Amino acid sequence: MITVFVEPDNETLTFKRHNTVLMLQRRLGLRVNDALIIRGDRLLTPDSRLNDGDEIRVRKVMSTG
Amino acid sequence: MICRKCKAPAEVSLPSHNTAFCRECFQIYFTRQVEKAIRHHALIKYGERVLVALSGGKDSLTLMLELSRLEYDVTGLHVDLGIPGSSAPARAKVEGFCERHGLKLHVVELAKLGLPIPDVKRYINRPVCSACGKIKRHWFNRVALEGGFQVLATGHNLDDEVARLFANTLRWDAGYLSDQGPCLEAESGFARKIKPLYRLTEFETACYAFINGIEIHSAPCPYSSGASFTGHKELWAKLEYTSPGTKIAFYDGFLLRGRPAFAHIEQQSGAPLAPCETCGSPTSTGLCGVCRLGIAVAERRAADPDRQSDPDR
Repeated sequence: MITVFVEPDNETLTFKRHNTVLMLQRRLGLRVNDALIIRGDRLLTPDSRLNDGDEIRVRKVMSTG
Repeated sequence: MICRKCKAPAEVSLPSHNTAFCRECFQIYFTRQVEKAIRHHALIKYGERVLVALSGGKDSLTLMLELSRLEYDVTGLHVDLGIPGSSAPARAKVEGFCERHGLKLHVVELAKLGLPIPDVKRYINRPVCSACGKIKRHWFNRVALEGGFQVLATGHNLDDEVARLFANTLRWDAGYLSDQGPCLEAESGFARKIKPLYRLTEFETACYAFINGIEIHSAPCPYSSGASFTGHKELWAKLEYTSPGTKIAFYDGFLLRGRPAFAHIEQQSGAPLAPCETCGSPTSTGLCGVCRLGIAVAERRAADPDRQSDPDR
């Protein structure tokens, strides 16, 4: 199970399985540079593998005023 | 992915540049983009004092930290808009950031000046984002001139600039197209305005802020829903995704070939400016727009029966 916390929407999602960050981004409808994908204190690139038990923060970057 | 420079595992993927960086090499890349902008457009000259407009968002705080690391003489300016539930946390982030990094900060409180943004929204019949922007720009310039700063820096990034250029182009607004760019030279009562982050995207400034542990105010302004810039940014994000590098090519092409043509037109038709009769800021209409806003808000507030029964409303 992968837990995903989406900012600034403050939404928590869980997914059974995603192999890579790119798959997660597609699932969330995000393009590669639409959001920071964070695990712990590291940024992840689209090809990074996701593991069972991962807690991922998705921080959308587009400012809206 | 591996870092293009040092071959360590990458943390930042940049399709627009067909590259990826580890965090250390990304910092070097980021600094070089800022230095390149400053050098190519002579944004800051030796010994000049720089006032940096700080909203509390990722771009302005990133700009402040980067300019201070490049050893420019920087002071922050935060305009407290007086919006309940939004302005206090934004100001707290700015104050905390400046304290943590030992940076100077000046705060302008619009409520103390009789022009809090909620009153502007309530009493002025025009889009509040437009009036708010006008008021902020007024105070940025006024504090810069009165404080002896030669340069006013804002954290506008490439996405902001492309969205603005796109909006100006859709309207063929010759006035705005004549002077949009990373540097607007000082003239007629205006400090020089610069945008040192114009070569960097929102994604890149967000990466910088994260890597450097900058705590940002990320909640959107409660009054900004439906702002047209957000829709334009979304359009450009789609274009950039399908054709990486389109944004910087569009913007650089405008600076090279578009702006000079519009500047030539505007030189022939621009209205002459004189100091505002009340505050001294440059204007073409006797009283500047912000002084007129202040008078209109004060008059309508005084005539509002709700405010007379409950002044704090």
